Amino acid sequence: MTTAERRYGGPSDPLAPCVHCGFCLPACPTYLATGDEADSPRGRIVLMRALERNEIGADDAALAQHLDACLGCRGCEPVCPSGVAYGRGLEAARERLFEERGLPPLARAVLGMFRHEALWRPLFTAARALRATGLPRWMAGAGRTGFGMGMLAASRQQIRVGATGATRDAMPKHVTLSKAKGPKREGGPTVALFKGCVMDTLFRHVNDATRRTLEFNGYDVLEVEGQGCCGALHEHAGDRETAAALARTNVAALAGSGDYIVTNSAGCGALLKDYGHLLHHDAEAAAVGAKVRDVSELLAMAGPRPGAPLELNVAYDAPCHLQHAQRVHDAPLAVLRAIPLLQLRLLPDSDHCCGSAGIYSLLRPAMARAVLSSKIEAIAAARPRPGIVTTGNPGCLMQIGAGLIAAGLDIAVAHPVELLDESYRRLDRGY
Amino acid sequence: MVDALGRIVGPRWVRHRRAELATYTMDGLPTRESYPGVVVMPGSTAEVREVVRLMHLTGTPFVARGAGTGLSGGAVADPDAVLIALTRLNRILQVDPRRRRATLQPGVVNARLSEAVLPHGLHYVPDPSSQAACTVGGNVAENAGGPHCLKYGVTTNHVVELEVVLPDAAVIRLGSRQGEPWGPDLVGLFVGSEGMFGIATEIVVRLEPIPSSVRTMLADFSTVRGASEAVSAIIGAGIVPAALEMMDQACVEAVEASIYAAGYPTDAAAVLLVELDGGADAVEAEATTVETILRARGAREVRSASTPADRARLWQGRKKAFGAMGRIAPDLAVQDAVVPRSALPDIMDRIEEIRGRHHLAISNVFHAGDGNLHPNISFDRRDPELADRVQVACREIMAACVAAGGSITGEHGVGSDKIDYMPLIFDGDTLSAMRAVRLAFDPDERANPGKVVPLHACREWRATPAAR
Repeated sequence: MTTAERRYGGPSDPLAPCVHCGFCLPACPTYLATGDEADSPRGRIVLMRALERNEIGADDAALAQHLDACLGCRGCEPVCPSGVAYGRGLEAARERLFEERGLPPLARAVLGMFRHEALWRPLFTAARALRATGLPRWMAGAGRTGFGMGMLAASRQQIRVGATGATRDAMPKHVTLSKAKGPKREGGPTVALFKGCVMDTLFRHVNDATRRTLEFNGYDVLEVEGQGCCGALHEHAGDRETAAALARTNVAALAGSGDYIVTNSAGCGALLKDYGHLLHHDAEAAAVGAKVRDVSELLAMAGPRPGAPLELNVAYDAPCHLQHAQRVHDAPLAVLRAIPLLQLRLLPDSDHCCGSAGIYSLLRPAMARAVLSSKIEAIAAARPRPGIVTTGNPGCLMQIGAGLIAAGLDIAVAHPVELLDESYRRLDRGY
Repeated sequence: MVDALGRIVGPRWVRHRRAELATYTMDGLPTRESYPGVVVMPGSTAEVREVVRLMHLTGTPFVARGAGTGLSGGAVADPDAVLIALTRLNRILQVDPRRRRATLQPGVVNARLSEAVLPHGLHYVPDPSSQAACTVGGNVAENAGGPHCLKYGVTTNHVVELEVVLPDAAVIRLGSRQGEPWGPDLVGLFVGSEGMFGIATEIVVRLEPIPSSVRTMLADFSTVRGASEAVSAIIGAGIVPAALEMMDQACVEAVEASIYAAGYPTDAAAVLLVELDGGADAVEAEATTVETILRARGAREVRSASTPADRARLWQGRKKAFGAMGRIAPDLAVQDAVVPRSALPDIMDRIEEIRGRHHLAISNVFHAGDGNLHPNISFDRRDPELADRVQVACREIMAACVAAGGSITGEHGVGSDKIDYMPLIFDGDTLSAMRAVRLAFDPDERANPGKVVPLHACREWRATPAAR
């Protein structure tokens, strides 16, 4: 009996409450893209049940194709009147597919790379170097290579500072904050920063902004050594074993540090919070999971303190793993509302998946682009047009950023804490 | 067939592998299952026409399907039939705010239409509870209702013109933007024909202005009878609410446990949701009268939605109620019957008696103002003895509704689920006449075959023993 089989069936069957009403259809990005039941949550539940009952085998190409095509955004969960735990069902089905079928070569290669820091760190460092040449931005476009280059270009720091309007690409790699500068309260909460892999390399500027904005709001940010990739990409692909191994490394590193553990990547946060479940309710893993917060949650808890005005027109896009998996809705908006004069808008479909979904956009570029297109169209149609799209997940920043470049739109992408950080910098109060 | 369809729509839009077909074996009623032979997803009216022509030339039966949220097993095809999914035809072609008309393709989602015309201060009135997912094409096929049909009428009252591909691939237009230009109401005939007359590929609907003033009230009762009597009393006082809905305790409990919790009191035997709309003064006056009636009939509390968000919450709870029944048991037999409004109190007692005798879990959520009942029986079909009792109880409920002077369906259609009940309300001659009408559109009976009209009950079938 496989793990998946043990977790299916019985009273705890996560899919049992589905009465096939179809209220999930309009919330599913892939169904909206194709109109095909087999690409809908309800259709996939039929497939997962058939897999569970061995009516259709894991080697069935059609079954695998449509289950693989699920973004795992879990947009269907909050609209389900019966509370079907779609994400748990998908997790079990993907584990079963992984166990019996393995992964396609490209996925295996990419996930293998994320498995070892000795592989991903040099690769992403090289990517940063390539990005710094400006070549990716120049090559960015609508084709497959162009889109990939657009994703890399979109990961750079894009918001402009100072009267000169110079970008901050040339900012020092590590900003060492003097604790004395911040208004840290004596005995304020301590926060261990989960650095991540992509966030610690391509998006290091977001990690820096996270540190600074938290310190400014009274948190004491701790550096914790010995962390690695969170394992979310492996978990999404059904490779629970590798995900669990990575989780154990992080649990060992993070256990006991800080009142909270903070992440600025929605995808990482969703799995970090779920470490207890992933490691079969190991007490230490559950304790680590319980301390995890998205950076927006911690900032919102502290206020956050208002910054200097930024006269920007900003569209917020909600990452699926923040809104659906973590059920965090208002905190990022609270972060952005702390910036006076910032015009905050939620465009149509801003709560729909962008098609990034971890390594999905790499494995299934056509569907990922089809899912992205309605979002880009909504941004292009917005009047006045936003100057910045902000979202709290690296994959979404790159996917939306590349989509904007491919559509020829001169609109920047930024993490919400980057905007708050910029606003604080302009306070001129020793920030 | 797969190759021939692929040449029309492109191979990408043909589904024939077993796993893919498995996702099309049901509509919103999971108790009726059947694998279609092939699923085809045309992307234009021209492709629909070519697909139907191929069906005609090869003598193949076909079934049209929208979002598959129907509740009578109507959009399900047998293995010898082709299922034509119209979800890709999802464009609103034209909105004419001055004449209050919209022209759309059949795969447009009901709620998306109202969203699209909102900037003009207009909306599309028929609002089935599945409106967030269901398509207007499906609404046309089923003559769908919804809470607001009490005052404003059902789908047929809001469709003025149709482009239809007949089963022989002829394309005809019925009605006009101004309504029926001549004689019999052919649009009315097509609306509610449950896919037996052809496929609507273009639909022109009437749009209505959004009322200037709306009041949504929630009343809770300690007895179902009290709530049922209040329904008739409100209508008897000469008030036609925009909507008048009832939910019993079992239903309220399921909704309150869901993400759509609306603050309905879970200790009430029944709650009524009453919506009044129109001019501000009239709404105020009616609200006072309604509240007096509700309290006189035993309402424990009457409250009004104070904000638009509160109002939306009250409605979301009601509209998603059916989907929340998975919290009670994994399977659900959704029923749909109509009784004269005055018979409501007695029929509710009767349903309760049937529930008790068969030891079943029944929850009621329905359009009380129309006398349109939805007794939902929650069960687990893995227990065959229980499943049998559910079927017996369904039949007893139907018989009771018919005996009270009602009908076997209010808005879900007959499909395959209720075909056996048709002889309860129609005699052989009438069923034969219905079949004759169908033959006028579809002489080979290839469009959604085996649904709605029970051939064995038709007069000529009975008259010719050889046919048996």
